[in-house]
Amino acid sequence: MQPRNETRCEPASGLVYVVDDDRDLGAAVARLLSRHGHVATPFLDPAPLLEIYPQAPAHCIVTDVMMGDIDGFDFADRVRALDSTVAIVFMTAWPTTANAVDSVRRYGGLDYLEKPIDEDRLLAAVCEGVAWSKAQRLASARTAMLTPRQRQVFDLLVKGHNNQAIAIALDISPKTVEDHRAAIVAKTGTNGIAQLIALAG
Amino acid sequence: MTSFAPSLAEFRAASRLATFVPTTADLPWLVGYACAFFGAHHVAAEWGGHGYYSLLYPAAGFRMALLWLRGPRLVGGVVVAEILVQLATGIIDPASAEWSTHLVGVIRPPLVYALVVLLVRTMAARAKTSMSVAPMPLGLASVGAPVAAALTSLPWSLLRPDLTGVSGLRDVVTSLTGFVVGDLLGVLLLTPPLLWLVELATSTSAGTSTRPARPDIAAVTEAVLVLAASFATEVLLGAIGLGTPHTPVLLAVAWIGLRFGRTASWLSIIVVAAMVLPQTAMPMQMAERLALHMSLASIMVVGYLAGSFADAQARMRVDLERRDRLLFQAERLKTLRAMSVAVIHEISQPLSTLAIEAKHLHELTVSADPEIASTAALIDRKAAALSILVRRLRRFGGRTVDQPTPLPLATLIDTVAALAQPEAKARNVKLSIESVDPDLVVLAQEVELAQAIVNLVRNAVQAGGSEPVRLTVNTEGDRARIMVVNRPRTDRPVQPGMGVGVLVARAIVEAHGGSLVRDSDANGAMRATIVLPLLRNPE
Repeated sequence: MQPRNETRCEPASGLVYVVDDDRDLGAAVARLLSRHGHVATPFLDPAPLLEIYPQAPAHCIVTDVMMGDIDGFDFADRVRALDSTVAIVFMTAWPTTANAVDSVRRYGGLDYLEKPIDEDRLLAAVCEGVAWSKAQRLASARTAMLTPRQRQVFDLLVKGHNNQAIAIALDISPKTVEDHRAAIVAKTGTNGIAQLIALAG
Repeated sequence: MTSFAPSLAEFRAASRLATFVPTTADLPWLVGYACAFFGAHHVAAEWGGHGYYSLLYPAAGFRMALLWLRGPRLVGGVVVAEILVQLATGIIDPASAEWSTHLVGVIRPPLVYALVVLLVRTMAARAKTSMSVAPMPLGLASVGAPVAAALTSLPWSLLRPDLTGVSGLRDVVTSLTGFVVGDLLGVLLLTPPLLWLVELATSTSAGTSTRPARPDIAAVTEAVLVLAASFATEVLLGAIGLGTPHTPVLLAVAWIGLRFGRTASWLSIIVVAAMVLPQTAMPMQMAERLALHMSLASIMVVGYLAGSFADAQARMRVDLERRDRLLFQAERLKTLRAMSVAVIHEISQPLSTLAIEAKHLHELTVSADPEIASTAALIDRKAAALSILVRRLRRFGGRTVDQPTPLPLATLIDTVAALAQPEAKARNVKLSIESVDPDLVVLAQEVELAQAIVNLVRNAVQAGGSEPVRLTVNTEGDRARIMVVNRPRTDRPVQPGMGVGVLVARAIVEAHGGSLVRDSDANGAMRATIVLPLLRNPE
């Protein structure tokens, strides 16, 4: 059966983990996300998730803040250490202004949702998170193919330096810089400096 | 709306002047005052003397009572009334050459009285000592006004001795002393009973009982014994040839005042006055009469101030007890709040699941059997409504230290409606809320201000009545006016404990730079009005 009257977020369907120490709520949120096209798995405890994470990285993690041994923020820090391209959405039954600010500023959370969950806001946050994560991975995949010298040129390029300046900075000829640029554009499949900067984003 | 602002400001400036013009409600008071003044002024002539009008001037008591009761703004009316009376009796004779001197002499005392009343009231409103607790301000004004009035006549006596008929330092001092003593006696004898009478008359018509408690037999006995003993001592001292010092009576009256308050001290003052005044009305030596009246005046001042002080202390004690009770209540409320936050948390967890699943069920069953579909839709709707309520409740109970932010009144009233509606429904009272102009914005802590208005609405809802409780918002110049109007049931006495909510509301509103006034109109409708400064448009 197809869910009706909601915005499906087709281009950004991704792998999502839901972490909540309330088994029913975790399962309900995971099922909700599944109905909206994501592949969602609920976890009762962050510890087992951290163990399997390197083998199965997700696009987005929806996690409770107040949990047993590892709280949501602690968990977010550990996941970030494993994967810097995963989006994190926090949810809590004890919302405070300080936590709301911290969750976004310090823990790079995409949103801070108050329970009972506002469904539309959750779906929008997860959708945005998946899209962001995919873009991040694509960008890092592209730049990963660059040689160390190409990477140096790329870093200077996206800072806004011209060929002449890069040649002087790296002590190579402007012609060599030109060659590296062509290689970078070919490898990353970008078209122009603006897209390169977006890639570095 | 803004185009009215200048005319409103003009109107307000004009109305400030207009406060000095007596209203129609003041007229009976002024007419009554003129009659009383006329009578009292002539009674006073019995105790007249050279250089002053009288050593007992009851008219001053009427003057003080009127100015205290109706406010110093009535000074114009009082002056006019006194001038008219003195014109009618010929004290001010327009034909005589000295009419202007007499006119000034008539105008000056009420002017000074009003000024003293104004000063004492301003001071009492600002000071936080026992001097500012009622009835202490009245006591201070009653003593201060006669002294001030006499002092202001000093330059006059010195500059124009030919006109006042007083010459020489001795005469001037005699005249001033006579003036002070006469006015003091008049004010202290008459003002307290006059104010009590008015209070008694108005409080019985309003139905609330503020009548003093029945006096305690032991207290009366003690007071009578103390007073009688002081008289006996005085008589004894006189009999053995030690003169008649009045110190025993002075001490007795002070004792009675401190022990039993203003009413008791005033009653003993009356007893003392009743024994002294008939003697001094008879022809006697001027110096002797002045001495007697001065003694009487000091007894009165000491007694009355002691009584007022005791009353003020008693009042402060009652206030303190009430504050203690409030603190206790606040403590309980804090516990209650912590409990509700915990309950909200416990509810929000399963409710999240419930709301998600209910919505899913609703979506699944749209095309199913209509019976099932409508049931699922209902469950979904209720779960969603409950979710919103829980989120709102948490906002209400949780954050309290937020900075004030610009807050549209429409949002505020929405919050209030959501919080107050359930109780209104449970009590079968209709809550009628008019739509609010979305452009009205105040600088506020939403949670606190909502609490203030919710308190007022809840009070109104609890007061019952068949008519709806109305919540309206309008503007008055650059201020917003939020009104809660209801018509309480008349067959039920005012519930005790209702004051806490209003106290909290008032504290919150005042912290927001606004004011809260509660009054009732002629039809018996209760009205609570919050006035708040509006946030100016940045344009």
